[in-house]
Amino acid sequence: MLRLFDPLRTLLALLLLLAGLWWARTGDYFGREILAEMAVFAIAAMGLDLLAGFPRLVSMGHGLFVGIGAYGYAVATALWGWSWPAAILLALALSALAGLLVGLATVRARDVFYIMATLAFGQMGYVWVVRSAELGGDDGLAGVPRPELAALGLDLGDSATFATLLVLLAAAVYLLLGRLLASGFGRTLVAIGQNERRVRALGIAPGPYRVAATTVSGTVAGFAGVLAAMHSMYVSPELFHWTWSGEVLTMAILGGVGSLVGPALGAAAVVWLKYAVSGWTEYWGLFLGLFLILAVWTGGQGLYGYLERLRAWLLRTLTRQEEADARGDRTGQTLRRSHRHRPGVAAGGEG
Amino acid sequence: MRKRYLAVATAALLAGTTAVAAREYKVGLLLPYSGVYAALGKEIQAGFELGLEHYAAELGEDTIRLLPEDTEVKPAVGLTKAKKLVLQDKVDVLAGLVSSGVLAAVRDFVDGAKVPLVVANAGNIHATGKQCSRYIIRVSFSNAQITRPMGRYMAERGLKTVVAMAPDYAAGRQDVEAMRGAFEAAGGKVLKEIYTPFRKTKDFGPYLTEAQATGAEALFVFYAGGEAISFMKQYASFGLKDKLPLYAAGFLTSQLYRNAIGEAALGSINSLHYVTTLDNPENARFQQAFQQKYGRVASEFAVQGYDAARLIVAALAASKGDKEKFVDAARTTTFASPRGPWRIDPATNNIVQNIYVYQIVQGPDGRLVEKVLKVYENEQDPPNGCQLAG
Amino acid sequence: MTAAYWLTQLLNALQYSMLLFVLSVGLTVVFGLMNFVNLAHGTFYALGAFIGWSLLRATGSFWLALVGAPLLVAAIAAVLYGAMIARMQRAGHLAQVLATLGLVFMGVEVMRIIWGDFALDFAAPPLLQGHVQLFGLVYPAYRLFVIALGLLAMVALWLLLERTALGAMVRAAVDHADMAAALGVRVDRLFFGMFCFGCALAALAGVVAAPIFSVYPGMGIEILIPTLIVVVVGGLGSLKGAVAGSLLVGFVDTFGQVLLPQLAGIVVYALLALTLLLRPQGLFPARA
Repeated sequence: MLRLFDPLRTLLALLLLLAGLWWARTGDYFGREILAEMAVFAIAAMGLDLLAGFPRLVSMGHGLFVGIGAYGYAVATALWGWSWPAAILLALALSALAGLLVGLATVRARDVFYIMATLAFGQMGYVWVVRSAELGGDDGLAGVPRPELAALGLDLGDSATFATLLVLLAAAVYLLLGRLLASGFGRTLVAIGQNERRVRALGIAPGPYRVAATTVSGTVAGFAGVLAAMHSMYVSPELFHWTWSGEVLTMAILGGVGSLVGPALGAAAVVWLKYAVSGWTEYWGLFLGLFLILAVWTGGQGLYGYLERLRAWLLRTLTRQEEADARGDRTGQTLRRSHRHRPGVAAGGEG
Repeated sequence: MRKRYLAVATAALLAGTTAVAAREYKVGLLLPYSGVYAALGKEIQAGFELGLEHYAAELGEDTIRLLPEDTEVKPAVGLTKAKKLVLQDKVDVLAGLVSSGVLAAVRDFVDGAKVPLVVANAGNIHATGKQCSRYIIRVSFSNAQITRPMGRYMAERGLKTVVAMAPDYAAGRQDVEAMRGAFEAAGGKVLKEIYTPFRKTKDFGPYLTEAQATGAEALFVFYAGGEAISFMKQYASFGLKDKLPLYAAGFLTSQLYRNAIGEAALGSINSLHYVTTLDNPENARFQQAFQQKYGRVASEFAVQGYDAARLIVAALAASKGDKEKFVDAARTTTFASPRGPWRIDPATNNIVQNIYVYQIVQGPDGRLVEKVLKVYENEQDPPNGCQLAG
Repeated sequence: MTAAYWLTQLLNALQYSMLLFVLSVGLTVVFGLMNFVNLAHGTFYALGAFIGWSLLRATGSFWLALVGAPLLVAAIAAVLYGAMIARMQRAGHLAQVLATLGLVFMGVEVMRIIWGDFALDFAAPPLLQGHVQLFGLVYPAYRLFVIALGLLAMVALWLLLERTALGAMVRAAVDHADMAAALGVRVDRLFFGMFCFGCALAALAGVVAAPIFSVYPGMGIEILIPTLIVVVVGGLGSLKGAVAGSLLVGFVDTFGQVLLPQLAGIVVYALLALTLLLRPQGLFPARA
C-alpha cells in the first residue's frame, strides 16, 4: 500500500510542482517546451508505475495506450472536427477499452511472458497505424488543435500557459493515483506483486484486480497521449513503438517505481538529460544506457530510493544524536521504526 | 560536429575592412544527425557548408551563422527544435528536413510563424500540393517528380507490363502512383503493386518471388538507404537481372552508398534529379571542391544542401532580412546549379528541374558511374490542390 | 502460382527460420538455464556482424570472419558476464530487462561510433555468390548455405544436449539448478559457458545474415523482437521449443506476407498473442 501522505513523498511532489510552476513562469521558450514534455512523460510514467510498481507487472507496451489516446484525440479533432471535450472523452474511453482488453488478454501471463505479451500488443498497434493510410501512416497526422479556453481568459497557444496547465494536470494525476493506491485496492495490488499465490490462498481472485489496474493505467497513459498530441499539435506512430515504451519504463525505473512520485522525478530527469546531453553529442543513447545500468547496479530503487536511504540515514544520525543527548528517551526508537522497508526492483518479478 | 556555430567570414571582413553595419543572419538547420537518416543529414550539411563557402561572399559585409539542430527523424522532436529555432534563437530562415513526417509536423507552425523554410530533401507531394505554404520552398524534389518521367520512359522503351515494389509508407506509395499514372497513360499496365513493411523488411525474398510470379516484363522499385542496399543485393542473388530488368527511383543507387551495393547495382536503370557525372562547369567546380574537402564523391543529397545554401544566400542578399521579401526573392531566383538549370514554380513553391534517366555502368577506372540515357527537361509537378497566387 | 513459386517461398521461409533458430537457441538456453532475460541478445548479433565485417575487410576471408567473429564476441560476452551479468542472476527479471535494455541502447551507439551510421556491404564468399538451378527453380546459393548451416546447427546442438555428459548436465541444471548443484554440477561455470556460447551463436547468426541484409547499427534491435517471439512461442529453455518456435515464426511471417499482404507484419504478433492465450508457457517449455 502507498501511504499517500508520506512526508518525504509529499515534500518531493510539492517541490516538483513548485519547480515546474516556477520554471513555466521564468523559463525561456525552449525551457517551457521541455517542461511540457516532462509533464507528459511524468503522467505516462506514473500510469506505468501503477502496474510496474505495485502488482509488479512490467509493461513494455504502454506506447499502445499513449498512442491510442493521442490518435483518438487527433482523429476526432483534426479529421472529424469534434469539439475538444468530446475528443478527450473519446480518447480516454478508447484507451480505457484498450487497457481493459489488454488486461483481460494478459491476465494469466507472468514475468517474461507478461513483458512479451504487452510488447506484442504495442507492436501490433504500431504496425497497424504505420500501415493505415487514413491515419497518415508513417507521416502521422498534423493540424491537431489545442483546447480553446478563451472563455476562461486562457490562451493555450502561449507556451507558458500551456506548460503551467500540464504541470497542474500532472499534479492532479498524482493525487488521483495516490488516492487510489492508498485504498484497499492499492493494498491488494501490492500483495499481488509480492506473492500472487498467497493472495489467491486468502480467497481473493487476483484477475479482476489486475484487469482493473491495467484499465486505469491504460487510461492514464491515454491521457498522457492526449496531452502529447496537444503539445506537439501533431501525432505520429512512434508513440506506439516499443522503444518509446522502453523509454517510459526507463524513466519510471530511474525515478524509482512503487513510489508514484519517483517516476515523475525520473521523467523530468531523463527529459532534461536528453536535451542537455544532445546539446553536445549525438550519441544520447550511450548515456541513457549507462544510467539504466547504473540504476540497476546500485540497487535498482531509483532516485527516490536514494532519497529514502538518505532520509533513513539522516533519521539514524539524528536519533543517535538525540539518544546521546537524552539517554533513555524512547523517541529515537519510534522514529527508527517509521522507516518501513520497501522492496526494490531487485525483488520484483520473481514468482 | 554538432552545435558548431559556423561563422562564415566574408571576403570584406577577411580583408580587414571595418564592417559598421554588417549584420549576422541566422539560419536554422533542421536535419537528422542520429537515427536512420543520420548519414543523409550529414551529407546535406556537408553540401550546405560548401555552398556557403562558395557563395556567402555575395552577402557583402553580412555573415551567416548556422544553427544545426538534430531532428532525430522524430516528428515531435523536429517540431520542438523548429519552435526553438524560431521563437528562441529568432532565426531568419529555416532549412533542411529529410523526413516527410518531420516536414508535415512543422508545416503548420512554419506557415503560422511566417518564417521561410527551404526544404532540402523531404519529398512528400502534399507539401507542395494541398498542404503547400507560401513560406515553404522546396529545392530538392517531389516524390512524383522523380518517378513520373520513369513511367514515361518505360513506356517509350516498349515495356507493356511492370510490377512495382516499394516500402509501405507515404513516399513509397507516391512514387509508385506517379510512375503508374504516367506508364498507364502511355498504354502500359502495372500488374501488381507490392508494398513491403517500412523499415522492417530486410528479407525481400518472399516479395521478389512474388514479383517474379506476376510474369511482368520489368520491375519498378523505390527503396533508399539501408533498404536499398539489401534490396539490390537480394535482387541480384535471386538471378533476376536477366529475367526481370530493374527500373527505379535513383535513390536506389545513390552515390552515397553505391559502393556498398557494389556490382549488384550494374545494369539497373534509374531516374533522378542529379547525376554525379553531369558535364557542366558548376558541377565540375562543385564535385572538385567537395571531393577535396570531404574525400568522397558528392551525392544528390549534397547537391540539395549546396543549392539550398546558395538560394538562401541569394534571397538574403535581395531581402536584407525581411521575411516576406525573402520569400518573394526565393520564389523568383534562378541559377545554374550542378544539377543543371532549375527554378521555383510560383504556383506550388516546388522546384522545376531536369530529371535524368541513367543506367549504372562500370566506368573506365572501374568505379560504378551513371550513363545518362535520356533527360526529361524542366519536369514540373501539377498544382495538386495548391493555391499559391502565381 | 506455379509449384516453383511455392517451393521458392518454402525455401524463403525455411531460410528465415534457420536464421531465427541459430539466434534464438542461445537466448532460450540462457533463459531456461539461468532464468535470465537478455534483451541484449540482438546486440551480440549486430556486434557479430560488425566484427565479422572488419575481419572480412582485414583478411578478405568470409570463412575467417564466420569463425573469428563469434569467438571475439564470446570473449566480449565473457567480460560482460564477469562485469555485470553474474551479479544480476538473482536480481529478478525487471532488473535484468532494464540492465540489458541499457546494454541495447549503449550497444547501438558504440557501433555507430566505431562503424558509422550507414549500412555496410558484406560480400558473400565467391563460392556462394550467384544462384543455383534446382528442380527448375532458381535460388540464391547463399540462402541454401544458410539453410544447410541452420540444419547442421540443429543436429549438432541436439547431439550436444542429448548425447553428451555436458548436455546432460545442462539439462539437469535447466530442470533443477539446486538439485544439479547438489549432485556436483558446477552450475555457475555451466551458466558462464552457456552464456558465452549463446552469444557466440548470436554473433554467428549476425555474420551469416550480413551478406543478405547488410550490416547497420539498428539490426540488433530489429531482430530482437522476432527472436523473443520465437523463444516465448517455443517455450523457455528447450531445444525442441526453439526449433518449433523458429519454424512457426519463419513460416507464419513469410506466408503471412504472401497470403495476407494487408496484415503483413501483424500476423507474427497475432501468433504470439494467440500462443500466450492458449499456452501461456509456450509450446515446449523445458519445465512444465
